[in-house]
Amino acid sequence: MPGAHHPQVALVEWVIAAGAAAAVTAYLLAAARLRRRGDAWPVLRDLSFLAGGGALVWALLGHLPGGPFTAHMAQHLVVAMAAPLSLVLGRPLTLLLRVLPPRGTRRTLLAAARARPVRWLLFPPAAAVLDVGGLWLLYRTPLAASHHPLAQVHVLLAGLLFTFAICQLDPVRHRWSLAWRGLTLLGAGAAHAVLAKSLYAAPPPGAVYAATDLHTGSQLMYYGGDLVELALAAVLATQWYRATGRVLRRSTMATRRTVSAE
Amino acid sequence: MEKSSGLQHRPGRSLWVCALLGAAGMAAVDEIVFHQILAWHHFYDRSTPSVGLISDGLLHTAELVGLVAGFALFADLLRRRALSTAHAWAGLFLGLGGFQLFDGIVDHKLLRVHQIRYGVDLLPYDLAWNGAGLLLLAVGAVLTVRARR
Repeated sequence: MPGAHHPQVALVEWVIAAGAAAAVTAYLLAAARLRRRGDAWPVLRDLSFLAGGGALVWALLGHLPGGPFTAHMAQHLVVAMAAPLSLVLGRPLTLLLRVLPPRGTRRTLLAAARARPVRWLLFPPAAAVLDVGGLWLLYRTPLAASHHPLAQVHVLLAGLLFTFAICQLDPVRHRWSLAWRGLTLLGAGAAHAVLAKSLYAAPPPGAVYAATDLHTGSQLMYYGGDLVELALAAVLATQWYRATGRVLRRSTMATRRTVSAE
Repeated sequence: MEKSSGLQHRPGRSLWVCALLGAAGMAAVDEIVFHQILAWHHFYDRSTPSVGLISDGLLHTAELVGLVAGFALFADLLRRRALSTAHAWAGLFLGLGGFQLFDGIVDHKLLRVHQIRYGVDLLPYDLAWNGAGLLLLAVGAVLTVRARR
């Protein structure tokens, strides 16, 4: 947004970036502690979390290319979509639950992760409405022109919530089925694509951009969103492929046992 | 469909999985060749009604999800050695032609999402587009009949 230079917005961006750097440091220390203890923790998860945090810091504090709308869209793609995916793939909740001592904070955290309201917050369509619905509000109401400093915080948190609910990699009590998650991804992706195309034709109310900037930015939103949706779909497809593989192995082993018993 | 019966050909599943891959693949070819490389299709056409925009968004996302899901389902068929090659080819052509014809008639003409090309006489383009779709569908139909024999 052109509000990137508003002092309050800049302050919020610095705070988020500092939070991201602290989270990455804590993650790497926790993973190192786990490994010293002899637990296995894939290095790919560390790299994914590190990349997510790094991308967040770069998108918030770095200089993004293009006109103001294009630069804003690049920032949006990283903060709301790409960085959350990268962070969620690091399975931070699993790591935290493993590294914390059994009593105290761990118990509270586990209780929170299993609380009923959290279950509904992680209901994929609900998370999608909070995420993409918030985006529609941001771009299709005068909210966009108001440069609210907390808009960036909402976009990041909603992106994390949506990605977390779709991927469902960390242990929470209720697991929503692949159908819920896949169909939600389809609906959210469609809403994102329609919003991107509508921005091509008309900027957010109260905002003025050069036509080329608007066109480049909205196409970046459309095709950039595609890449993240492809990655999310690949996560779901991999989960399905592995789960059916386990069922298949069990059934072939069972058949072999019956055959050899006869 | 029993999941436990591995190592057995599954003609029906081979056909529809490859039809899904064909339709999603054709949509991807359309996006890459006609939108990006040739730039004939426009990203946005002001004469599109909102229902056209919404269906376009849904179809576009379905293409992405369908492509990934299709690959996973195809890999699963290979893993079970359940792929029936003849049905797979038939399904692929049915999917390619089905999407091409759907795109040519529903997207371009009924919903007016965008036209094939701008600033030219559209008739030959529309005929070639839909003719190609029909041809692919016909190949798919012939292959289906042959696969069933």
